[in-house]
Amino acid sequence: MKTLRLQSLAAALAFAITGLYAIDPGPYQMAAFVFFAQPLFVIAGVGYAWRVWKDLKTREVL
Amino acid sequence: MEITDLTRILTGLLCAVGFFLCLWLPRVDFGKIDSDRKVHLGFATLSGMAFFKLLALAALFAVPAASVAVANYHTIEGVHGVESCNRCHVMTPMVTDMHDPHSQTLAARHFRNGWIPKDQCYQCHSDYGLAGDLQAKMEGYRHLARYTTRSYEEPIKYRGVFPNDNCLKCHAPTPKFQAVPSHATVRARLADNTLSCLNCHGRAHPSREQRTPGHTDYPRLMGEDE
Repeated sequence: MKTLRLQSLAAALAFAITGLYAIDPGPYQMAAFVFFAQPLFVIAGVGYAWRVWKDLKTREVL
Repeated sequence: MEITDLTRILTGLLCAVGFFLCLWLPRVDFGKIDSDRKVHLGFATLSGMAFFKLLALAALFAVPAASVAVANYHTIEGVHGVESCNRCHVMTPMVTDMHDPHSQTLAARHFRNGWIPKDQCYQCHSDYGLAGDLQAKMEGYRHLARYTTRSYEEPIKYRGVFPNDNCLKCHAPTPKFQAVPSHATVRARLADNTLSCLNCHGRAHPSREQRTPGHTDYPRLMGEDE
């Protein structure tokens, strides 16, 4: 595991959308949270888990 | 302060923390962290690698999971208020009419007489949308997608049959309801929704024609002539 740039970018964007939704919970913000932010969080989480798994395989822990 | 306000504040705080962690995380090169570096947290001392990996876990897993959970609580539970429904402009005619002291629709009469003290939309549509069961939630997401992509036409139409249970849950146990002989006659048809309460008790909201752009009542219902 060297850096987590893409995962961090996806999560930061998702946090920004979710934060906007928390500030002003209108229909467009809700749709952005439901249809964009949540998948971005999943992408970030899965990307992170994949990097951890690869790291553990490299170190022969798994 | 209500719990929905608290969830919004908590979501905002979690997002702020998560956002700044995610801005900082790309600067960390895990291949170049000094193996001798120690990080003192007051209650524990960690190696630099363990500390940064824990922060990555927080930024990309723990804080996002908490943010999604709290924000979804707001999405599902925080949408019961009339103002939440009124945020979509297609709902404005219903809300304007409900608040109209001269309207004779069921919604307006329930509101005017204080029969439903709060969350008036949700109390009669408790099976609907993000607050209802799984099928209702899917329907709510469909409405959200169609509204935000503007893939709908005014006036909007109620899909399916309005369940009488939404009326009967309050009215059926009352002596006033039970004293009406025709209610006993049609009990089975009310139970299986082959007869609507609205057949005898009138319109719940303004008609589809009134809610059509161009109709003389449309500007008033949209609150444009105030």
